[in-house]
Amino acid sequence: MRKPAAYGLVVSGLIVVASAWGQEPAESPGGSVLPSFAAGEVPSRLEYIDELLRAAWEEAGIKPSPICTDAEFLRRAYLDLLGRIPNVEEARAFLGGGKERDPGRRAKLIENLLAHPDYAKNMATIFANTLVGRRPRGDQVDREALVGWLRTQFATNRSWKDVAWDLLTATGSNREQGAVNFALAHFADEKVNLTAATTRVFLGLQIQCTQCHDHPSNDWKQQDFWGINAFFRGTRSRPVEVIDASGAVVRNGTEVYDEPTDAWARFEKRNAVVGVVPPTYLDGRRIDPGPEVVRRVELAKLITEPTNDQFAKAFVNRIWGHLLGRGIVHPVDDFGDHNPPSHPELIERLAVDFRASGYDVKALIRWITASEAYHVSSRMTKSNEKDDVLFSHYPLKPMSPEQLFDSLITATAAHRTAGGDSERRRSEWLRQFVVTFDNDEAGETSSFQGTIPQALMMMNGELMAKAVSGEPGSFLAHVLDESRLQRRVPPVRYAVEMLYLASLSRLPTPQELRWASNLFATNPDTLAVLQDLFWALLNSNEFVLNK
Amino acid sequence: MNQRWRQPDGMSRRHFLSHLAAATMAGPAAQLVGALEAQAAAGIRPPKRCIMLWMGGGPSHLDTWDLKPESEKNGGEFRPIETSVPGIQICEHLPTVARQMKHLSIVRSLNSREGNHDRGTYVMHTGYMPTPTIVHPSFGSICSYELGYKAGEDFPLPHFISINGPGEGAGFLGMAHAPFYVQNPTAPIANLRPPGGIEEFRLGRRLGMLGVLEDNFRLQNRGQAAADHKAVYQKTVKMMNSQYTQAFNLESEPPAVRDAYGRHSFGQGCLMARKLVEMGVTFVEVHLNGWDNHNDIFDTLRTGNLPQLDQGLGTLIEDLAVRGLLDTTLVVWMGEFGRTPRINQNAGRDHWPNGWSVVLGGAGLKGGRVVGATDRDGVEIVDRELHVPDLIATMAHAMGIDLSTQYTTPNGRPFKIVDGGQPIAELI
Repeated sequence: MRKPAAYGLVVSGLIVVASAWGQEPAESPGGSVLPSFAAGEVPSRLEYIDELLRAAWEEAGIKPSPICTDAEFLRRAYLDLLGRIPNVEEARAFLGGGKERDPGRRAKLIENLLAHPDYAKNMATIFANTLVGRRPRGDQVDREALVGWLRTQFATNRSWKDVAWDLLTATGSNREQGAVNFALAHFADEKVNLTAATTRVFLGLQIQCTQCHDHPSNDWKQQDFWGINAFFRGTRSRPVEVIDASGAVVRNGTEVYDEPTDAWARFEKRNAVVGVVPPTYLDGRRIDPGPEVVRRVELAKLITEPTNDQFAKAFVNRIWGHLLGRGIVHPVDDFGDHNPPSHPELIERLAVDFRASGYDVKALIRWITASEAYHVSSRMTKSNEKDDVLFSHYPLKPMSPEQLFDSLITATAAHRTAGGDSERRRSEWLRQFVVTFDNDEAGETSSFQGTIPQALMMMNGELMAKAVSGEPGSFLAHVLDESRLQRRVPPVRYAVEMLYLASLSRLPTPQELRWASNLFATNPDTLAVLQDLFWALLNSNEFVLNK
Repeated sequence: MNQRWRQPDGMSRRHFLSHLAAATMAGPAAQLVGALEAQAAAGIRPPKRCIMLWMGGGPSHLDTWDLKPESEKNGGEFRPIETSVPGIQICEHLPTVARQMKHLSIVRSLNSREGNHDRGTYVMHTGYMPTPTIVHPSFGSICSYELGYKAGEDFPLPHFISINGPGEGAGFLGMAHAPFYVQNPTAPIANLRPPGGIEEFRLGRRLGMLGVLEDNFRLQNRGQAAADHKAVYQKTVKMMNSQYTQAFNLESEPPAVRDAYGRHSFGQGCLMARKLVEMGVTFVEVHLNGWDNHNDIFDTLRTGNLPQLDQGLGTLIEDLAVRGLLDTTLVVWMGEFGRTPRINQNAGRDHWPNGWSVVLGGAGLKGGRVVGATDRDGVEIVDRELHVPDLIATMAHAMGIDLSTQYTTPNGRPFKIVDGGQPIAELI
């Protein structure tokens, strides 16, 4: 690992690049100033993250919350990396072990989760939602193809630079080349939306207001928007037609392709004068506007070239925001002078190291999850309860619809109960969940945005009814069987412990055990009380909030 | 105005029923005092309500409100008929609506500029074009926030309810103002009751346990979300236990009333909308889909949507007027766009946002007016071109919402509920 002193150089070098950005073409200052990790030498933690966090806490006169419990860390890591809570076996495996606990157990857990098949599934879901939304507003978007493609990228830990390159330049059928669906989802209105989505997703810049006017609070000009838009002038789509078995021509998806063009973007200024602009990057660099170049490829080069630190910053900040509930720049995709970062040096240095790692997504996740901010409790203290921006306590993060659904299935095995095709039932419930719980703005707020239909579905819906029914195949049925087979503790106590572990990923406190045993003492119908307790646990704030 | 509110509601209701040749208003709903009646009895000036009738697919204005009998190529098969307002003619298949024309005004010159279904739906609901970085609140959500939420938390029903279709969401206003979706007005509300076998005792026990768990977690000082969660559940339980949910039950309505509205999902949705606004719900959207008539438009409309629209809308206006609700209830008829004047080779009409019609009435807007005009063939707007923000401004004005109302979006940008439009002067 590099010595801290090395980063001083890095940072000063970076500042040179950053200040040049937006005026002159940024050039790599000699190349040697930028750090580059040799192959196999990407560190698993970066000490300066904690140093910079602590410096900010000291400056603000606050103390971080204590380190969270292992159970809290376990649930947090599963939800963030796998998109679901741990099942009881996974929870026992991590929480067991008594006093001789491995001090490296949390880092090992992160490593195991990064290698788990659900990691790629979860990342694909998160990025599909970012790239095209849960329910794309386009007729020709094959969201499933995009999800499948993303899953492969994250499973193989492909460089974010290469993933971005494909999303920016892909051509071909939306069914066979999943990456084209990003462009297709934003095709309308002469690619106005594609322009805005591209800068937002890959650069963390919201320039869409400048579609119609110069930005009031930062440096973006209308010309900047249309300069990027001009890169999409040649991008087209057409139906893919195939001949089926009966000889009829049938449609089989949509194809994205690039047509040679020498067109400039035209736009109307506020004073009704029409402006024209050739393909122009945000820093003023122009590409050859002739028909011999593929403009999207040129744009991808400009966005992903090593000297473009904004590309790395945008991704670092997005992952930071996912893991810690809030970006260093927040909202995560709104960089600019109008919205300064909470930790300016931290975002700069993380971006440098992310680039040096070869845009290694898993390395970035290791660094952030190894930082103190990812390990502090969500219990606020008198010292830090006023702090919302310095990561002195972990935030309560409401589960996404996908996290909630997968967590309910993990906890209850509701889909395995008798009566029908479990996969069909699972996908029908998932559809209901996405429709009922979808909120495009959920990522923008840390407040709980629940609704009555959501609460009704959680309280009275079919999934919950099956989940707590105790029918054969369900987790509750399994617990009842086990409780009679084991000899460690009384059956009811065993069952209560398992329900807590399955739903909240922790064992009940002694106080909660006393409360629960009173419930059973006063109500002789043990199964009904267990059903009701499981129902209450699954409906509770502690279940639905990632703490 | 207050005078009219104080008028005993039962009188007008009986009048309405006798008109429909029904005997008496029986059933449990009769004993239930709605919020409006309670407020009227207390002498409080009741707030405004809105029923928006959403014509999914893009309704043909040329075959409903702006017929072109003199255009040989574009006129189509339907004849205009006179209405209760001299000089205003509408489609022959809307006779019930024609009798209520004095309460309704037609805007015949809307240019909404967006001919794609999804985007047109978005624009007409929000007044804004979609952009990838912000989700604008629909007008129903703004009403829910401005008139429902700000008026107090005690009301047991959601303030934005959408029937037969999910409606557009609340965007950055938050899910509390997203529409509560009633998929089928003649079926029980999904999940409103505990599943079979869970009787009151069990539900009570569950809620008791939940209360203990929620409080334990809330008291750990981990943040506001823990308390917010509890508040949503409390509101939900309040709704489950509320008598007001009878507004969702059409079984309590006399068969003659249900027949008058039409025994189809649109008509029954209109009836439910009336019950809901009567109960105090701020905004109800009722969907009638099937207007995307690229083929065979005349047969399709004659036998399907036009008679349904006529029964639903015509009866709704009459019912609201007779009950004294129309003075405070805005009724708006719209879809994502109109349809092309040109009749295509499949005897259909295609998408046409360039100059089409919407209909408004109630809540103090002037009825029996026509605003704007298109030319003889329906191709060009020849008078008073209006845009979506003008329509939203008119609706906001009617609802008593200050047009200068502005919010700050989560990313710190200003958002105006009316983006530059002006209320239509002829209607206010």
